[in-house]
Amino acid sequence: MPIAYAHFPYLSLILLSCVAGLLIIIFIPEDKKDAIKWVSAVCSGITLLISVYLFFAYDKTQGGLQFVEKYQWVPSLGISYYNGADGFGLPMLLLAGIVFFTAVLTMWELETRVKEFFALIFLLVTGVFGMFMSMDLFFIFIWFDVSLFPMYLLIAVWGSTRKEYAAMKLTLYLLAGSALVLPAIIYLVVKSGFHTFDLVALMHPGTFTPFQQKFAFILLYIGFGILAGVWPFHTWSPTGHVAAPTAVSMIHAGVLMKIGAFGVLRVAIFLCPEGWQYWAHLMALLAVIGIVYGVFVGLSQTDLKFVIGYSSVSHMGIVGLGLATVTVEGLNGAVFQMFAHGVMTALFFSSVGYIYDRTHTKSIAELGGLSRTMPVASGYLIVAALTGIGVPCLASFWAELTVFISSFKVYPVYGILAVCALVVSALFILRVVQRTCYGPEKERFAHLEDVSFKLGIPRMILVSVIVIFGLFPDVMLNMIQTASIPFISGLP
Amino acid sequence: MMRRIKPEQLYFIALVLASVGVGVCLACVRLTGDLFAGTYRVDLFSQVFKVMLSMGLFLVVCLCTELDGIEERHHPEFYFLLSVCTLAMMMLVSSVHLLTVYVALELSSYSLYTLVFLRKGRDRGIDAGLKYFLIGASASALMLFGFALLYGSIHAAYLVEILKILPNVINRPVVIVALILLLTGFFFKLAVFPFHFWAPDVYESAANQVTTYIATASKVAAIAIITRIVALSGGGSAYLVHMLVTLSIITMTIGNLAAVVQKDLKRLLAYSSVAHAGYVLIGILSMSQAGYSSAIFYALSILMMKFTCFLVLVKVADDGRNLDIEHLAGLHRRSPILAMALMMALFGLAGIPPTIGFTGKLLIFTAAMQKGYFTLVLIAMINVVISLYYYLLVVRAAYLLEPKEQLPELEVSNSIKVLAGLLIFGMVAGGIFPQYIIELSRTAAMTLM
Repeated sequence: MPIAYAHFPYLSLILLSCVAGLLIIIFIPEDKKDAIKWVSAVCSGITLLISVYLFFAYDKTQGGLQFVEKYQWVPSLGISYYNGADGFGLPMLLLAGIVFFTAVLTMWELETRVKEFFALIFLLVTGVFGMFMSMDLFFIFIWFDVSLFPMYLLIAVWGSTRKEYAAMKLTLYLLAGSALVLPAIIYLVVKSGFHTFDLVALMHPGTFTPFQQKFAFILLYIGFGILAGVWPFHTWSPTGHVAAPTAVSMIHAGVLMKIGAFGVLRVAIFLCPEGWQYWAHLMALLAVIGIVYGVFVGLSQTDLKFVIGYSSVSHMGIVGLGLATVTVEGLNGAVFQMFAHGVMTALFFSSVGYIYDRTHTKSIAELGGLSRTMPVASGYLIVAALTGIGVPCLASFWAELTVFISSFKVYPVYGILAVCALVVSALFILRVVQRTCYGPEKERFAHLEDVSFKLGIPRMILVSVIVIFGLFPDVMLNMIQTASIPFISGLP
Repeated sequence: MMRRIKPEQLYFIALVLASVGVGVCLACVRLTGDLFAGTYRVDLFSQVFKVMLSMGLFLVVCLCTELDGIEERHHPEFYFLLSVCTLAMMMLVSSVHLLTVYVALELSSYSLYTLVFLRKGRDRGIDAGLKYFLIGASASALMLFGFALLYGSIHAAYLVEILKILPNVINRPVVIVALILLLTGFFFKLAVFPFHFWAPDVYESAANQVTTYIATASKVAAIAIITRIVALSGGGSAYLVHMLVTLSIITMTIGNLAAVVQKDLKRLLAYSSVAHAGYVLIGILSMSQAGYSSAIFYALSILMMKFTCFLVLVKVADDGRNLDIEHLAGLHRRSPILAMALMMALFGLAGIPPTIGFTGKLLIFTAAMQKGYFTLVLIAMINVVISLYYYLLVVRAAYLLEPKEQLPELEVSNSIKVLAGLLIFGMVAGGIFPQYIIELSRTAAMTLM
């Protein structure tokens, strides 16, 4: 893999602006809520700008790892601070930047314990960015855990609907995942005999025997897979999404679940390609069960957020199916789907969050006729729903299409099942939209005001991203290909 | 009649002397040499532990501004016994002869028994003190038997000589039995199964400051001496390893499972100490340089994390009472810095990065994995997840629960705020920049081999 060192530490700058934001917020007095929000907006804006810049500054003809920064950290253990971006990492960095910035703007109306909320969000996002850019197993694990533990307080303090139960369940599930990841990482590092946590060095073919790869892969797959919502380890995810406050749902479904899938890709698949091929069929099976299960459980939900929660399980199943095909198209589709689904759920949760803040209900039966009282708000909801069911010209369409094409080649039965499930999901999501946005107008919601321009900004950003990548999917696919083609062709 | 010194003056004198102790220990870190006909060795290993012990004493004295758990007339004895105990533990980590080990261990134990008795409100202290004493006395009787067996079978009492002879005779049953019996005395100190029964009762019944001392300094000394004794075997005996593996698994599992149902914060911390004893054993039973150095590193991290928990406990229970977990309610408003310190310490104990507790666990698990103990590491990780549950319950109490009646803000002096800030900084810095401590503990572990 070609490695190009950075002239300027852009990647560290992303982390630095998160940490700086965190520190500034800690030292701002509690009652200056506006100052805290502005600092959050500026710092998250900087991360977004840098991630957009990096996405377009990446040299696609050269490929490989770029913007690399590497410093010895703990030489006696072989740990280095090693950041780099490749065709898999950059879409995720871009996604994290977009979702983080829009999530901060979405929470502009927050009034309770503002300081702590934004401080925790910054801590969480530092971990997210770090995870997407790190190329050192030690740091990958650190970032992975840093991004998990603020979730407990974020959900338990600011959440709703059985929030303490959901927060505890989520934390224990995810930390159980990391309890599998850590032994697997140490196992690989020790067995390699290289005495290093450097991912690129460990990727060298022939480092691990087939048995070691199969063994470590399944641990890593389950460990990271819990976070990616792989069936049957997904049960934390719908309850967690429902209980979390809007911004946290956005970051959580939009980015955090991607960390799980990204961990499977970056650590498990990169280090144990033979284990990947060995377990691919199991991965595909679990993914398809997840897709079908998510759709059918989603059908019977009466709570708007539960509907999105289960559709997330189903959409993350598509990512898993893409990863399981062991093909270039499969990888392309999986990474594209991670990106598209991230933006799409962020929009979904953001618009549902707005509706919930105004109407104080998430129950589909109680809502209705919103398109007349809140035309703009329901507009955002409808766009998100259409993206979710994969309407052409929106980002998800291309991602799902690529995954399905590749899965038809490798696993025809699973492919057909997944497509059928998706058709059903279109039916139920459209029904939800119809119940909430159309139908007779409810009187108690008649006086509610619509999304103002200021509050609409984050939603508009999300909609435009969905449309841009729906119209020009090549921008994204060409980027991912710079990583997926060399990786697949390098497989033994 | 002699004029009594006021408690404030006593506190001040103790604080100054304890800080001088830390200074002296820091200044002497690099010294080496033998004393008292070779029964007392000054090497990097012992000096590193002396620094930790003196820090432990200093930190505990810092908490003694309101010593409400102990009658005022006993305050001089309290400081005296605390210092004697620290002295004995410093001797313990330097002892390289079976007899000095025994004398030092007993001296420290007896001071601790008395310290536990000192709790105001007679019955509680006496009950727990007696339990502590009885279990301790039987453990040390077993240990003495072990000494006798060991000396009888290999005719050596200097640890250096034992180190030379032992690897050749390690598979003789009598030697194994001797080593196991010998370790019981230290297992009692560290609260390893089956000698952990005293821990919850003693933690609960002793005065808060005394509990702090038992949970921090005493554990550090126990880790030191177990490491030194196990290092004697040279990594030869499969029986010894099997026993240690079994004890480690049982200890951490019992500790964590019992901690889940605790209501009293001190009992919870007692069981979490038991669990941590299990984790430390993993490092020690790896019987390699990496393993011993990880135990040294972990001793430091336990000292910092446990002390931080107790700092919060002592300050919240400002009249020296015991503290239920739910009494932490509203702490995030009553004193944000203490709540923050508590959260960092608990996350550290749960091994969440980037804290010193995570780095310690990583070192331990890496050492164990190098010896191929994959299952052991996996069991330990499952335990870590269980432990997270009860640590989160405490965090929840501090951050989410609201007190039943409105409580005023806690009056926390500026020096305590600075101390809490330094501890938070230290725990995070130890997790992010562990390089220096790792190097130091590796060099210290070298002197054992």
